[in-house]
Amino acid sequence: MTDSCPSRRALLRSLFFGLQPVKPGRTLVCVFLRGGADGLNMIVPHGDDRYYTLRPTLGVPRPDDRTADDGRAIDLDRFYGLHPALAPLRPIYSAGRLAIVHAAGSDDQTRSHFEAQDQMEHGVRMNQIASGGWLGRHLRARNAAEERAMPPVALGTSIPESLRGAPAAATLTSLDDFSINTATGDLRGLAEALEALYSADSTAAAACGRETLEVMRRVERLKHGADAPAHSASYPDHEFARGLRLVARLIQAGVGPEAACLDLGGWDTHFTQGAVSGLLPGLMRTLAESLAAFDADLGDSGERVVTVVMTEFGRRAYENVSFGTDHGRAGVMFLMGGSVAGGKVYGAWPGLGEDRMDGPGDLAVTTDYRDVLAEVVARGFGQSRLGDVFPGHTPSFRGVMR
Amino acid sequence: MPLSRRDFLQTGAFAGGALALAGCDGVYRQAAQQLGQTIPRSVTPPSGVGLDPFHHLLSRAGFGPWPGDVERARSMGAEAWIDEQLAPESIDDRACDLRANRFETVFCPGGEAYEYRRPVVHEELARFTLLRALYSRRQLHEVMVEFWSDHFNMDIGKAECAWLKSSHDREVLRAHALGRFRDLVRGTALSPAMLVYLDGRANKRARNEDRPNENFARELLELHTLGVHGGYTQRDVMEAARALTGWTVRKGWRKGSVEFRAADHDDGPKEVLGVTIPAGHGERDLDLLLDIVLRHPSTSRHLAVKLCRRFVSEQPPESLVERVAEAYRSTNGEIRPMVRAILTSEEFRRSAALKVKRPFRYVVSALRSLGADTFAHRPLLEYLSRMGQPLFSYPTPDGYPDENAPWLGAFFWRWNFAVALVTNRIGKTSVDLRALNDAIAPPGAAAHSARWLRHLLGRDGTPAEQAAIDRFLGGSGGTPAQRQAEAVGLILASPGFQWF
Repeated sequence: MTDSCPSRRALLRSLFFGLQPVKPGRTLVCVFLRGGADGLNMIVPHGDDRYYTLRPTLGVPRPDDRTADDGRAIDLDRFYGLHPALAPLRPIYSAGRLAIVHAAGSDDQTRSHFEAQDQMEHGVRMNQIASGGWLGRHLRARNAAEERAMPPVALGTSIPESLRGAPAAATLTSLDDFSINTATGDLRGLAEALEALYSADSTAAAACGRETLEVMRRVERLKHGADAPAHSASYPDHEFARGLRLVARLIQAGVGPEAACLDLGGWDTHFTQGAVSGLLPGLMRTLAESLAAFDADLGDSGERVVTVVMTEFGRRAYENVSFGTDHGRAGVMFLMGGSVAGGKVYGAWPGLGEDRMDGPGDLAVTTDYRDVLAEVVARGFGQSRLGDVFPGHTPSFRGVMR
Repeated sequence: MPLSRRDFLQTGAFAGGALALAGCDGVYRQAAQQLGQTIPRSVTPPSGVGLDPFHHLLSRAGFGPWPGDVERARSMGAEAWIDEQLAPESIDDRACDLRANRFETVFCPGGEAYEYRRPVVHEELARFTLLRALYSRRQLHEVMVEFWSDHFNMDIGKAECAWLKSSHDREVLRAHALGRFRDLVRGTALSPAMLVYLDGRANKRARNEDRPNENFARELLELHTLGVHGGYTQRDVMEAARALTGWTVRKGWRKGSVEFRAADHDDGPKEVLGVTIPAGHGERDLDLLLDIVLRHPSTSRHLAVKLCRRFVSEQPPESLVERVAEAYRSTNGEIRPMVRAILTSEEFRRSAALKVKRPFRYVVSALRSLGADTFAHRPLLEYLSRMGQPLFSYPTPDGYPDENAPWLGAFFWRWNFAVALVTNRIGKTSVDLRALNDAIAPPGAAAHSARWLRHLLGRDGTPAEQAAIDRFLGGSGGTPAQRQAEAVGLILASPGFQWF
């Protein structure tokens, strides 16, 4: 690399040198897998023989199954294994930045997508009514001193229920959303005038105005800066990945939102979901490649980011007649980031015996999803008012955060 | 403004034509302009270093002046203007009606809105609300409607609220906005939307072991009447909940209407705040309960504080709060005397520019100040969402906050709105800056920017404001008209326009 071609980091440093400091805060990234992701095939309990009994076609072969030529589980701890399509997550797990919680979920008994998503996004138990989403309540209950000019964002065009009630939550489709769309094209002139107006102001609006301008300026530089992800991170060509990339850019520019919500849909695999290849493995690959690229792209900034991956429910333990799986109960959650106590699969394994399963044959929930989320916001984001975030729930921490 | 017979006939003709061309915005626009919803030929912007007292009055007792409003109020005198506003039925509002009263779902009887899709019902109520705030000459009435919408907040996204909210808005909030507090509380308690929103419909004692659902009873005491430190106990909440058992919303036949089911009512004696409700009063328990809570001194204080906070400042002076509470007590909860006491007070006059405009007020005051022409289509509503105040969507029953801090976040969307508005790039919303410029700065007048600052801010621009605007005007890029327009947008985006 020559002097005329500085590294991206150096470039960013030079661009930001001398600018007013915007406190680089922490970012909570929430990924919701819509449709009920099949946790049993994502994190395979290869140490439980019942799994293979219940899933003769769909079971992911054991890590030591020499007869499986197409692919087999990647062992994590001699009981659980990663689906081969999730291989990009393996190095992150080994480096201690990825934790997995198995048999996690809510007490939902409806097995309805709408009801179960609604319940989880509101952060409640079944039939409990709470106002706004859990993330919205977290952001409202957090320390006011941490307020930032960059609002919490939802990637896409609508605000998910989990963010409902968050102050000034915004949808984000591109960096242009954090600029001024001028007719004269004189953005610089407008920004200078606003700078002059807000600098001369002596009210409480002055600081907001100046901070908004600072975010705008950084986003402008981002738009004109190098677009290539850092650390040779390679994102797949998928909308979900583009969303993560956008979040990474904001974080790298020091204007990361306090929370970012992204959806990845298509997990409702009732029909020929595929064992080691096919529909579900394809989705898993998109998820894993995107998360791995995000992790690599963030580099050291990843210390200030926690990514939570959740789904409304897992799927039935036994496969159905059309080589798919039906709506079940417990699923898996993933936590990624520098402050995550990773390299471990958390959660008590409930077993797959008839007497151990829930309802028609579903993995029982042994970890309330709120316990995980509560620990993330408490230990990762300094949330002290957990009673406001998860009303009526006394969380017990599982040690998923450092 | 009294209408001549000829004007009236013209209106009739336009309205008839409008019906024939239902959905044609242009016809409504013309008719509304016939009724005086236009930019006057000449507007004299306020001047002076301090905020003009009439600009202040119109910004607090209304959503900010429409071009020409300040002069009109000045010529009437503050007291006369306030008294006129306190009697909204005396103010001709047909020009506003033409624009705003065309949404079917807003006017359909409770329960009939179910035929429409949820987003349609929500959007029509939001458009109706924005258009009335923008165009109504009964500005104080609209400000009070907004106040009660927060006081009796419900989230239209919950359960069936979307279909039931418009009748609450129309038959309770709008009907009694300046009336008796009791009618608002009672009407809300018995509105299907509130029975759904706070689970009152599920509050019953059909069997001895049934425990009442306390949700509504708690908010009735905590938010609607006594206030959170109003001196009630958990036991009072439970007893109030018992008194409210049996009221529910019908399903099936006459879906969405309210009924009292005696079999689900707990008819035993109750004791609330030390007062006994004797056994056997059935549905009259509600009124006996309201007698207790509405007479309680905490209720007069709670309401007085909230009104003063809305009209005066975040920390209203105690002297004023006490006078307003006394106005409640001496009239058995009439709203008008309370509001009058505030608006005519010295404390009110001295409170200029202490409050941050919430997004709804920011948008409406900007549109009013420019005499904008709009039918509040979706692009306009979306700005409210992005600024953090989507209408009827605040998730908790306490309503959008009235304090300054929650609204002092990112200004991207305010600024984007301001610049898009002045350059006519908000779908189906337009401003005629040339007409307004001619009105506030007659040909040959010097320093147009100074007049624009005075018009929009209600005072002289500071030297720094003047310099920033003039510097932008002297820059390059865009046509001269675009540049002038964006200079106006800058004033709307400036800190001075964020306060009121």
